[in-house]
Amino acid sequence: MIDCDVHCAPLSLRDLEPYLGEYWREYVDGAGIRVTGFTAAYPPAAPTSARPGARDDGGPAVPNRYELLRGRLFDSAGAPSRVILNCLTGWEAHRNPYYQAAFASALNDWLRHEWLDRDERLRASIVVPTVDPDDAVAEIERLSDDTRFVQVLWPARADAPLGNKRYHRLLAACAERRLVVGIHAWGRTGRAPTPSGFTLSYLEDYLSNPIVVQSHVLSLVGEGAFERFPSLRVALVECGFSWLPPLLWRFDKDWKGVWREVPWVKELPSTYVRRHFRATIEPAHLPAAAGQVAELVEMVGSGWLLYASDHPHDHGPGAERLFEVLDEAAAAAVRAGNAEALYPLLSK
Amino acid sequence: MTEVQEAPSVREPRTVRLVDADIHPAPPQPAVLSRLPERWRRHVERFGRRMPLITELYPRASNGGMRVDSWPETPGGFPGSDLGLLQRQVLDEYDLDYGVLNCLSLLDCHEVPELTAALARAINDWMAEELLDRDPRLLGSIVVPYEYAELSVQEIERCAGDERWVQVLMPGTAFEPLGSRKYWPIYEAATAHGLPVAVHNAGYEPHLATGWPSYYLEEHVAYSFVMQSQLLNMVCEGLFAAVPGLRLVLTEGGVAWVTALRWQLDSAWELLRDEVPALERPPSEYVRDHVWFTTQPIEEPEDPADFARALEFAELGDRLLFATDYPHWDFDSPTQALPRSLPDEVRAAVFGGNAAALYRLPLESRT
Repeated sequence: MIDCDVHCAPLSLRDLEPYLGEYWREYVDGAGIRVTGFTAAYPPAAPTSARPGARDDGGPAVPNRYELLRGRLFDSAGAPSRVILNCLTGWEAHRNPYYQAAFASALNDWLRHEWLDRDERLRASIVVPTVDPDDAVAEIERLSDDTRFVQVLWPARADAPLGNKRYHRLLAACAERRLVVGIHAWGRTGRAPTPSGFTLSYLEDYLSNPIVVQSHVLSLVGEGAFERFPSLRVALVECGFSWLPPLLWRFDKDWKGVWREVPWVKELPSTYVRRHFRATIEPAHLPAAAGQVAELVEMVGSGWLLYASDHPHDHGPGAERLFEVLDEAAAAAVRAGNAEALYPLLSK
Repeated sequence: MTEVQEAPSVREPRTVRLVDADIHPAPPQPAVLSRLPERWRRHVERFGRRMPLITELYPRASNGGMRVDSWPETPGGFPGSDLGLLQRQVLDEYDLDYGVLNCLSLLDCHEVPELTAALARAINDWMAEELLDRDPRLLGSIVVPYEYAELSVQEIERCAGDERWVQVLMPGTAFEPLGSRKYWPIYEAATAHGLPVAVHNAGYEPHLATGWPSYYLEEHVAYSFVMQSQLLNMVCEGLFAAVPGLRLVLTEGGVAWVTALRWQLDSAWELLRDEVPALERPPSEYVRDHVWFTTQPIEEPEDPADFARALEFAELGDRLLFATDYPHWDFDSPTQALPRSLPDEVRAAVFGGNAAALYRLPLESRT
């Protein structure tokens, strides 16, 4: 079993001090910058932020030490053979490009030394600066010898859709190093999740992720990313998947009408989406009737789905209900085969 | 100018069979100017309107985004400005019982309140005098200065006595998400007069979540995201719970996505309902009870059976309204647009029955 979305994060910037240079340690201290566990995205006491019992070991919901994760994930039967760590801190809210770059490097070094070195089953996503694509490329190059990094983490809420021309050098670096781009729910604190303004409820913020992520799908296909970088692969993480069929139906139809505008899109948009994208199964937003769940999975395609526990977050019983309608082969593919096929570096 | 049929041929009364829920009339600039008070006419003549044309933000690759044969022969004529051509190409061509006019000319509302209100009055007067008065098959959506709720309510009150106005028009994106309480007086006034509120994309959304896309292809597919986002916002802000009679018509924003949105809403509400006490029922029920959708541009699965399935999942059989989107490039003909996989009774409802019930149209068409 391959768990494609497990969260860890430093509890405070003190954890990162060994990995920050002197200037940035003083900057962080002087400004009083905290890593607070990304409270806007995961309010500490919200039912979605942690499964019941996740904190029974006395640790924070999102583990900040390897030992906590081992106890929660690895010490029981059915433990995953590979885990991809996605470290979310909300740090991308910062606009200072130099701080972003320094912070991303510190997080990645923290991941290497305090997690990846501790357990050979662990893999991780590279945290990259989001303000300047050149900085992101530099961070990818800095870590290029470490193939335990199998993915580059990108926030769903961002300054521009990911297929935009300004990101082509970043996409090229990912494709060249066989790193999957993992677009993860949430993102820039300070960016509204709707097209036209902020929301008044967490419920709406939470449910905006599946809508917001679709813009990146349009952008990557519409800007020809997969014609430029045929080996590029993208995982959509914690953004749901039941929205896929109607999106493809509309995207294909519109492309047939206005293809002249985007001559670099040479195949049906759905062909690119099915070949180059996958999505994790948490959250699984499913119909109430089991029969309809099976029909939905048929339309989405079980080959498109990646198992993820999304530890410690809780999205309800959707994922279990999903597995109830998968036959043995499809369940095995969702648990491991699809991820093995997607992530070239996973088995290294 | 194409010859107008001043008195459409008298025919036998018949059951309403075909209604077009989304026709776009475009008032010529002089027609709007001549209906403005002198003070605001001078303002527009000197300073113009403050937003660029939508086609300058995302140029349409062919024919300016219009149906190629929809340009009137009149010099300076614009598609949707010529009633004779509208009759010939839509009303007569398909023997429509009714057509609902959605004028998009004020959905880029970036003017001061008094001017916006004057423009709304001028546009509505043009529609009444040049279209509704001249063809009884046409029905109007009231254009309102939606950023200014009080002025919008005044315009609704001014028009609502005339039964040819069948709904109130709102933009896909305004200054705030559409569920904001700022706009509630508009929904309340429309509902008090028995009028549904239609939401139509205008293309001016600031793309706050992900930044601006580069191409019209993305922009046009994303119209469906705008609708999803606005509907999500209206549900979460408790609008439907607060205005229980509200009927909402999501126009030209796609249809099939609502299925997944309803699943998303109910799944998340199970976990998070303590945060949103205004939502007393599974939120998908508000969507089911309050929302209608127009067909064009309807999603087209490779396998048409998937479409019927999606429609059934979403329980939309009595909520879909056929629309052509005349005179835009992606016009849908009623003879070709809907998949054959739709059961006959659903097809009949989509083409006429649903609109007749929603807009409370006389069951027999006017002659």
